[in-house]
Amino acid sequence: MEEGGKAALSKIAPKELVLSPAKIVKSENMTEIEKHLELEFQDKDYAKGFVYKPGQFVEVSVMGVGEAPISICAARKNPDILELCVRRVGRVTNAIHRLKVGDLLWIRGPYGNGFPMEKMEGSNLLLVGGGLGIAPLRGVLQHALMNREKYGEILVLYGIRCYTAMLFRDEFLHLFYEGDKQNVKFYLSYEDSSDKACYELACERSDRCMSGVVTKLFQLMKISAEDTYAVICGPPIMYKFVVKELLQRNFSPKQIYMTLERRMKCGVGKCGHCIIGSGSNIKYVCKDGPVFTYWDALNTKGMI
Amino acid sequence: MYKKLAKTEFPRFFEGLGNLGKVYGPVNIEGSTYEFREVQSPEEMDLKYTRTMIPPKKFFLGTKETMYTFDEEKAVYTPAIGKQEKTIIFGIHACDIHALKLLDKVYMDELMDLFYTMKRRNTILIGISCHPDEYCFCKSMGTSYATDGFDLFLHELSDGYFVRVGSEKGHQIIEANKPLFIDADEKDVEEFKMNEKKRLEEFNLELNVLGLQDMLDLAYESPVWQETADECFGCGTCNLTCPTCRCYDVVDYVGLDLKTGERVRRWDSCMLRKHGLVAGGLNFRPTRTERLRNRFNCKGSLTEGMLNCVGCGRCTVYCPAEINFVEVMKKVIGEL
Repeated sequence: MEEGGKAALSKIAPKELVLSPAKIVKSENMTEIEKHLELEFQDKDYAKGFVYKPGQFVEVSVMGVGEAPISICAARKNPDILELCVRRVGRVTNAIHRLKVGDLLWIRGPYGNGFPMEKMEGSNLLLVGGGLGIAPLRGVLQHALMNREKYGEILVLYGIRCYTAMLFRDEFLHLFYEGDKQNVKFYLSYEDSSDKACYELACERSDRCMSGVVTKLFQLMKISAEDTYAVICGPPIMYKFVVKELLQRNFSPKQIYMTLERRMKCGVGKCGHCIIGSGSNIKYVCKDGPVFTYWDALNTKGMI
Repeated sequence: MYKKLAKTEFPRFFEGLGNLGKVYGPVNIEGSTYEFREVQSPEEMDLKYTRTMIPPKKFFLGTKETMYTFDEEKAVYTPAIGKQEKTIIFGIHACDIHALKLLDKVYMDELMDLFYTMKRRNTILIGISCHPDEYCFCKSMGTSYATDGFDLFLHELSDGYFVRVGSEKGHQIIEANKPLFIDADEKDVEEFKMNEKKRLEEFNLELNVLGLQDMLDLAYESPVWQETADECFGCGTCNLTCPTCRCYDVVDYVGLDLKTGERVRRWDSCMLRKHGLVAGGLNFRPTRTERLRNRFNCKGSLTEGMLNCVGCGRCTVYCPAEINFVEVMKKVIGEL
């Protein structure tokens, strides 16, 4: 192709790299710093082709401000709607927080490998989330609940700082109380031991809630590594402690999935920022991950 | 396909290239500093150059290039696809051709990068044979000779050039300049072979790359990283001059009207503090030691079977702290 020109080349540009406008149709302040957004793609054909798995992420643009990677926080139910949970932490996410219902964001993606939902079929799921890390796990949870017969028991361990920092509060409290009806056991830990609301929850359901870090919840539950996959997401410091608990309970390294955070400018393994590893095993978290097994972590320097 | 271009015909051949697009060639700037610049005549070039300071990646990944323009009122991002100029890069060395082959893999194979691809497809590469200096170690990296990845490759002979044709585009150039090219005879072939043999004997610098990846794994905790980082200024010159370094950052610039602007990408450097920094302040490579170790591991690793270092020597030549890439690698893997 010599004189290809504008039109022809734009056509061969991969659709995953196209910036697609999406309107904010719902915006809810979940905590002081976290918003739950529902976005509606303006281009319905694009929306139809926008198929994603739990654990994948998108690059979100705020015009004139910049672009940031945000994980998708729901399973794909309505193809027109994309759900994101955004913590106000940097320039772009602060700008997202300033937007209102009706405003536009630009989306490209979905990127990353996502969680192997099919591979985990027929097994129990143990989801361990810390803070904002619960957002991508919510997609896993929803997917499993939508296909309830395909998964065994679902255990959710959610670590929060305090009651007001709890994300998707109504949804999760419902599962906390009523989850057993769907064979879901929802456990909650809270770090601020002086938090009154959490204390009340702990008094009410001492079998499901206690103060401390999320790994403390392992004391409360019985779990057999057999036929169970663990799925972890949380602040970087959390992983090794959760993995330690899992290994003590005979989980094999390949039974443990985790999704990682890194600086991701491009999302497609080109800009280089999310590089990890050493000589024989270099990985780009955005392209080769962000979901890795603990086996990968054992073989990749600097992963966790 | 092999041809011969006599020295006497070279100016006419070069002149003809001007009809195909803008011609860039190695120009001596000062001392031993060279740069690919636009040239009108062969006299402006120094075809016996060692290496350009900035590698040919600059043609395909602009140091600072607009990806999109945006307009808030119209609510659109428009890809910055201007009129594509035809570019001829004249006198590119084998190591740099290998580096471009690597960049092609990264930018054009999977999820093709529109901006890179457009420029790459509008470019003709004409290689030229070279002689190593004390910093070249391409022979060790397997990049001292290019079998493909170019359109034409000129090997200097006593009375002209032995020409290898590497692509259909290259063949078209030969066809368009038919009277200038003759078939290479036995004597030319002998001279070409002899020169290549002699050239390989000229290399003084070697780096054993067999098993280098495992050696780097095993040296992850080596004190050499810290020792080298103590000397390093963290300036990122090694990244800028590296023909395979391809990290870029993306920045949005808003115009004075506060409504329009552009999204720009610019070269980034893994030696800079911000490279591993995420929003919220967490840095995944907070120390210079970690950043330097990451750079050497990246260079020593393979991308789809190709080494990320082509042995051009630029990072060593231009390092203001005089850090010697090969020496550090040898120290790390225990050969020094």
